[in-house]
Amino acid sequence: MASPEQPPAGSPAQDVAAYLDMPPERRAAAKAHVATLSATAGKVALELPLGADVDDFRRVLVAEAKQP
Amino acid sequence: MTDLAALSAGGLAKAIRDKKVSSVEATKTTIEQLKACHELTNCIITLEADEALAAAKAADAAIAAGTAKGPLAGVPLAHKDMFDRKGRIASWGARIRADQPASEDATVIARFKAAGALQVAALHLTEFAFGPTGHNYVLGHARNPWDPTRITGGSSAGTATSVAYGAIPAGMGSDTGGSLRLPAAACGITSIKPTWGRVSRAGAMPLASCLDTIGVIARHVEDLALTLGFLAGPDPRDPAATSLPVPDYVARLGDPIAGVRVGVDEVVIRDAHPLVQGMVEEVLGILGKLGLQRAACRFPDWQMLDHLVQLLQMPDAAAAHNAYMRTRPNDYGPQVRARLEVGHFIAAVDHMTALRARGTYLQRTLDTTFKGLDIAILPILADPLPTIAELDVAGGPKLQAAMGRVVKYTRPINYLGLPTLTLPVPRKGGLPNGIQLIGRPYSEAQLFAIGQAYQREVPPEIARPL
Repeated sequence: MASPEQPPAGSPAQDVAAYLDMPPERRAAAKAHVATLSATAGKVALELPLGADVDDFRRVLVAEAKQP
Repeated sequence: MTDLAALSAGGLAKAIRDKKVSSVEATKTTIEQLKACHELTNCIITLEADEALAAAKAADAAIAAGTAKGPLAGVPLAHKDMFDRKGRIASWGARIRADQPASEDATVIARFKAAGALQVAALHLTEFAFGPTGHNYVLGHARNPWDPTRITGGSSAGTATSVAYGAIPAGMGSDTGGSLRLPAAACGITSIKPTWGRVSRAGAMPLASCLDTIGVIARHVEDLALTLGFLAGPDPRDPAATSLPVPDYVARLGDPIAGVRVGVDEVVIRDAHPLVQGMVEEVLGILGKLGLQRAACRFPDWQMLDHLVQLLQMPDAAAAHNAYMRTRPNDYGPQVRARLEVGHFIAAVDHMTALRARGTYLQRTLDTTFKGLDIAILPILADPLPTIAELDVAGGPKLQAAMGRVVKYTRPINYLGLPTLTLPVPRKGGLPNGIQLIGRPYSEAQLFAIGQAYQREVPPEIARPL
C-alpha cells in the first residue's frame, strides 16, 4: 500500500521536474523540444565508440595546437 | 584636438603616455559619452564615475612620475557586468544575486588592472547572459545605436553598444552560444571569441561552464590582439585555462595572409536570408582582394551540432540555477525562466552523450571540414537586423524557434570550441551586420592578421542613429 505522503501514480508530482512551477503548455513545449534533442543524442550514441571520453575534447584542442 | 572616440585602446594609451591627453580628460570624456550612449541604448548598469576619476588621477600621477605600468595605463574602459570585483556584487543582468560581495577580482579583471586600464562602468547584459538578442525583461531591453528600434544582439549588449558608439574603444564580454559575436555583428564592430580554454573563466558568472568563453569586443582588431595578449594564459583558479604559450598577437598582426585558404559551406549558408548570403559573398570578395583563396567545405550536420550544444548548455545552465529556480522562480524574467526550465527535462544520458561525442566531432571537423583549409566563413545573424518588437517573444510559444533562428550560425561553433573573429560587413549607409571567420584551435593570431588587413578595406565606424 502506498504511503500517504507518496503522490498517486500519474499525478503531476511524479512528472519530470515536478518541482518546477510551470503551466501545462510550457511544460509540454519543453518536453517536445527536449524530445527532438534526445532523438539526436540517440543517433549520435549509435555511432560513438565505447571509448569516447569527455576529456577527448580538450585532448583534441591541445593536440591541434602542438602540430607544427 | 585628439578625437578620443576614434582612437583604439592602444592609440589612446599612447596618447596618454605621450601626454597629449590626460587619463582624467579621457575618463571625463568617457563618462559623458557613456551617459549619452545610455540615453540611446540603455547600456549602463552601474556608472562608477567618482572612482574612475580618482583612478585616472592616480594614473596621471604615475605617468608623470614614470612609474605607470602596462600597455593600457590610464585608459578608461567598461565591461559586461558579470565579472567579480573585490568588494562588489556584479548584477549578472539579473534581480537575483547573492548578498555577499566578491572576495577577489575575476582573473580577467585583475589582468586588465595589471595592464593599467580603469573601469568606468559595468555594462548591460541579457539576464544571466542567457539570451542572444539584448532583450532583458528585468533591467530593460538594450537598443541598437544605429537604430534604437533594432536589437543589439546579446548577451554582451552593453559592451557592444558602448564600443560601437565610441564611448569606449574595447570591453569584455562572454560567449556561450554567440554572446560576443551576435552583438558585435548587430552593432557593426569586431570581437574575438577565443578558443575554449584560452582565457580563464575564474570569477566570471557561469552560464554553462563547458562552453563559457571570455573574450573582447572592440572597434579595432588591433585592440583584440592587444587585450587577448594579456588576458590569455594559464590560471591556477581555472584548471581549464590552458598553459599553452601565448603568442605575441600584436607583433603578428602583419603576418602574411596571401594564400590563406577560406572554406565556404554553401549548404549551411543557404539557410540564411538572401541579403545575408550576399553579405558573405561581399566579404569573400574583399578577402579575395587581400589574397585569400576560396574553397568549398562542409561542416558536420549543422542541426545535429545545434542539438548537441543544447544538450550541453541547457542542463549545465539549469544546474547552475537549480536552487533559485526551485525557490525564487518569480524573480526571473519570463524568457530566461522558460529557457532554464528546459534543461531540467534533458536526460543525464543524453547530456553525457553530447559531452562524450564532443572530441569526436571536433576531430572530425578538423579532419574533414578544415582539410586543406585555414579558416571557414559563416554568417552570424541569419537575417538582416531584426527589430526589438519582432523578437519580443518573452517565454511564449515562439521562444525556441525565434531564439534558434538567432543563434543558428553561432551556437554550434561553441560545441566545437573553435576561435572565431567577428568582422562587420560594409554597411553602405544601411544597418550593420557581420560575419564570422572560424579558425583552427589556437589560431587567433592568424585571425587577427586577416582582420587587421580587412579593416584597411573596411575601416571601423562610430555608430549614430541613421
